[in-house]
Amino acid sequence: MTTFIIRRVIWTIPVVLLVIFMVFVMMRQIGGNPFRVTERNVPEAIQRNLERKYHIDEPWYVQYSYYVKGVFTYDLGPSMRLRTRSVNDIIEEHFPKSLQLGLYAFLWSVVIGIPLGVLAALRPNSIFDYGAMLFSNVGFALPNFLVATLLIYYAAVRWDLVPTNGWPSGEGIAQLWAVDSRVILPVFALGLFPLAYFARLVRGAMLETMQQDYVRTAKAKGLRWRRVVGLHVLRNSLIPAITATAPLLGLIITGTFVIEIIFSIPGIGRYFIQSVSNRDLSVVMGVTVLTSVVVILANLFVDIMYGFLDPRTRDVRS
Amino acid sequence: MRRNKWPLLVAALLALFVFTAAGCGGDDEGAPTPTGEEPGQPAAEQVITIAWGAEPPSLDPGLASDTTSANIIGNIMDPLLRIDHETSEPVPNLAESWEVSEDGMTVTINLRDDGMWTNGDPVTAQDYVYSWKRTLSPELAADYAYQLYALQGGQEYNGCEANCDALADAVGVRAVDDTTLEVTLVSPQPWFIAQLSHHSFLPVHQATVEQFGDQWTLPENIVTNGPFRLVAREPEASIDLEKWDEWRNADEVTLERVNGRIIVDGTTRVQAFEAGEVDALDGSGLPPDEIARLKELPEYENYPYLGTYYYGFNIENISDVNQRKAMSLAIDRQTIIDNIAQADQQPATGMTPPGIAGQEEINPNSPWTPASGDIEQATALMGQVSSPDTKINLFHNDAPGHREIAVAVQSMWQELGLQTTIKAQEWAQYLEFIGPPPSKQVDVYRLGWIYDFPDAWNGLSLWTCESGNNSTNFCNEEFDALVKQAESTPDEAERFQVYAQAEQIMFGEDGEVPFSPIYWYTLPNLENLSIKDTFFIGPFNDMDLTKVVVTEAAA
Amino acid sequence: MAVDRREAALPVGAAHADVPAEAAAGEPVAQRSLWGDALYRYMRNRGAIVAGVVFVAMILYCLIVPGFWKIPGLWTSLVDIDPNKVNFADSYLPISADHPLGTDKFGRDMFARTAAGGQVSIGIGFAAALAILVIGVLYGSISGFVGGKLDNAMMRFLDALYGLPYLPFAIIALQIIGEQSFFALVIALTIASWFTTARIVRGQVITLKQNDYVRAAKAVGARWYRTLFRHILPNTLGVLIIAIFLDLPGIVLGEAFLSFIGLGINPPDASWGSMAQDGRAAYTTHPSMLVIPSLAIATLVLCANFIADGLRDALDPRTRES
Repeated sequence: MTTFIIRRVIWTIPVVLLVIFMVFVMMRQIGGNPFRVTERNVPEAIQRNLERKYHIDEPWYVQYSYYVKGVFTYDLGPSMRLRTRSVNDIIEEHFPKSLQLGLYAFLWSVVIGIPLGVLAALRPNSIFDYGAMLFSNVGFALPNFLVATLLIYYAAVRWDLVPTNGWPSGEGIAQLWAVDSRVILPVFALGLFPLAYFARLVRGAMLETMQQDYVRTAKAKGLRWRRVVGLHVLRNSLIPAITATAPLLGLIITGTFVIEIIFSIPGIGRYFIQSVSNRDLSVVMGVTVLTSVVVILANLFVDIMYGFLDPRTRDVRS
Repeated sequence: MRRNKWPLLVAALLALFVFTAAGCGGDDEGAPTPTGEEPGQPAAEQVITIAWGAEPPSLDPGLASDTTSANIIGNIMDPLLRIDHETSEPVPNLAESWEVSEDGMTVTINLRDDGMWTNGDPVTAQDYVYSWKRTLSPELAADYAYQLYALQGGQEYNGCEANCDALADAVGVRAVDDTTLEVTLVSPQPWFIAQLSHHSFLPVHQATVEQFGDQWTLPENIVTNGPFRLVAREPEASIDLEKWDEWRNADEVTLERVNGRIIVDGTTRVQAFEAGEVDALDGSGLPPDEIARLKELPEYENYPYLGTYYYGFNIENISDVNQRKAMSLAIDRQTIIDNIAQADQQPATGMTPPGIAGQEEINPNSPWTPASGDIEQATALMGQVSSPDTKINLFHNDAPGHREIAVAVQSMWQELGLQTTIKAQEWAQYLEFIGPPPSKQVDVYRLGWIYDFPDAWNGLSLWTCESGNNSTNFCNEEFDALVKQAESTPDEAERFQVYAQAEQIMFGEDGEVPFSPIYWYTLPNLENLSIKDTFFIGPFNDMDLTKVVVTEAAA
Repeated sequence: MAVDRREAALPVGAAHADVPAEAAAGEPVAQRSLWGDALYRYMRNRGAIVAGVVFVAMILYCLIVPGFWKIPGLWTSLVDIDPNKVNFADSYLPISADHPLGTDKFGRDMFARTAAGGQVSIGIGFAAALAILVIGVLYGSISGFVGGKLDNAMMRFLDALYGLPYLPFAIIALQIIGEQSFFALVIALTIASWFTTARIVRGQVITLKQNDYVRAAKAVGARWYRTLFRHILPNTLGVLIIAIFLDLPGIVLGEAFLSFIGLGINPPDASWGSMAQDGRAAYTTHPSMLVIPSLAIATLVLCANFIADGLRDALDPRTRES
């Protein structure tokens, strides 16, 4: 297991280099003038000055080396659109909020979704089961912008239960537990789909596992049902749930873009979209590399969890 | 073994219908509407919350290029003069008076002596000299440096590659004494005085800028000289201002604090207003689909906005002027305004919008832009076109309002026998396509122009041959000559005549119709009844917060 | 490298059909083919049947009502309506016989327009799903079959791609095509989503590679491509079909996401995603503008998932009744 982890961590470096290269190539391909903000054309002299300031007038390999150096020394340069803010500042200011949003949504989906699925599986075809599955199917099918719009309209505007937008802020790491009522709607909207997904998945996996011979045997032998469920059924049912975590994480990351725009949350997702539109290469590069690293680490974490839960995978090496 | 899931599926589908159909019950509750009291006494708490539509990229007057920054800067700094909303005339502010020389090339500005920075330093003419040269400096690479090209030597300094200090010294601005500023222009531009109201002419505090560099606009570092001070800022979230008690005119300012929330999405802004979380929007626009409903609210307000929305033709592709005339005739502007834009815009009959001095004389009342369109004449004209370009590519940047207008225009041109393909593009890519020079594929493109200062020159100079904002391939020597002539015509009546002639070249009976103006902008806005009487947005999307008073009529 | 995780959720190499369920002792057993058996079992799952019926009905609705390609629509010719004709006098009409779902802001009939939008959405969905399949199969099977260093490198490359966000891919694709047309969106969505399928296929191929019949083929001297395309891939077919139905909702929602940030399909065409975005702004006054396309998307998502579930049950030998 340790060699596995170390090997994966070492592989991160060439992967990051590849990511930098691909972003660089892609952003150059897109074209567009990062300095033309409004429809007014930028006068030549000013355009030249700006290009010089951001090294755009230098050959591509020089620019590329600046970016590589920047990433590995964590000095990502100034933003092309917001000239006085550095990309480091931007990331440090906005990324924790997105991380907080994503984490809360994920936790909410796990804490509610998995038990929901478990309980539904333990009372199959009961009212509870139908109710839970109904809720899950509805939450699964509705697009998140629809859910968000409805939530704001009813909970915030009509019934005035919570504010319509915004997000609490905290210093540095304290951001992760800065909470007030503005957190409720966005987390609900973002976490609804993964919640529904987990609930359905876990319920299905549990029902399937409970039909397995070894479970029936354990029950027939007279073992305490709770022990059977807790030890055998649950553990095996969680495997497909863990499997699903990786694509769900990707969905949560893309989901934050929409939620951040609708709820006016100053996170990195909304910022990133604007930066791509603005052709702000420094920010796009910094955020993309950051996202890649996060995704790689998340995948690694999931693989490790999987390794603990599923003994089969520990033995198979390709 | 899976259980039968069909009852679940049916139930789920039913639930979906019920759940979202419940959403159909939305009646118009709208914003909390207070009982219509008389505008009462000033409230005890003079605090308002504004929703800004974008994060201000920079509060540095040299670097700011968007309306949010301009509005905030305009209230934390003291402009030399303001433009009166009724008369469009410059009104002295920090500049007490000014004189223009006979030949129009020299402007002398006399500053008040009670201008002060927040750290106690007096505002001197030196500050302006330093700031204007800074804005022109190639190192700062300011977007709006071109506003200062009016100064002699300005353009050369801005474009300098080497030996820049000498060029910096040669720029035509100097401080005669602490309160007198002498400006030498490159040509007798008669609108220069009005132009001084623009935020790019605001001074910065030299010592602060030199000490903190890029970070000088942070709340803890910033030094300003206006009625309000920046006290708190959270990027992309909020920006708060507080009254500065030592401002020279602080007695006349009632408002104590202005909290700003940055809300980028239009629908979310409206929701925040209706939930009572903000007192006013900043004029960055209401979602077109909501305007019909919001118009009925007492909180709705509509301001004129100096700008023109137009469809530009690529003259190289649509080379027959009759076709361009026909296409312009076929557009039913009033229908577009009533059904899509919905904010009581005015159908445009020329480039220059009302509100610009002399517009009544300048406006050509073009026969080619009837408010409700004229399909018969358009079709007749089309018939006269020998080899019409029947496949039209209409480009626009992908935003809700533009898309819908394009769809409407597409169906209007269909009646002329033209097959229009709409190509929506993402903003940066779109700008690449229209250049100038525009890509060969572009037949028609959509754009708008917002005026910087209240002179028609600002809008007409766009259409010269060399202009970096002319993507129509329109190049008319006579037109260029007229625009040049206006630069040296200080007499207003004369100048208006020159402008009128220029407009005739484009939109008169024999006009070339390089583009088809659609409407002149307006600024629909929502304001809480407690401030509605005193909250005002000017025709340049500028706000003067010193005039705002919160009254007791709050909900 | 550990067995691909999504393996665990999918049926494993159902290469040979077993004896069908209700065989009385001693009776000669009629073998059912894999597909026959699968169909039989699918039909026993009522949820999947309902989903299948609704899905087919939806597709028929989208094709027949407005017509497609050169074929005129059944309903549009009947009532003589052009789903793209702009007529402001008719805007926001209520439900009537002429307009079963009312009209939108431009006076365009919503019934026909939703169907036309469905053509775009479902069309993009299937086209992209198929394209993803082709690319995923090529990449995954080569990686899995060849194994070793090439496999390792290809998988790490995939890891890098996983980390790249959706958006630049989409914008690049759209910019290369030069416009936001149907094909541009298909390409954009394909490029952004083929990774998972590649991984699944690779996992499948690795598992199947270890079967005896593959070794037998090799021993007999079959070339690698014959083994791959003749033996292994057909056995992954079931998984691939399931993958299409699992990808479909993601693609339709992805397209809605692109509309949200301003990269939707060129007007006057619409997709359910772009209609939903337009509807969102008009929600307070005309909620049906948002509700109708959202319901359409939701129905598609639910049905696709139930069908995928049903197919999985039908094809999975482990859930066979014994």
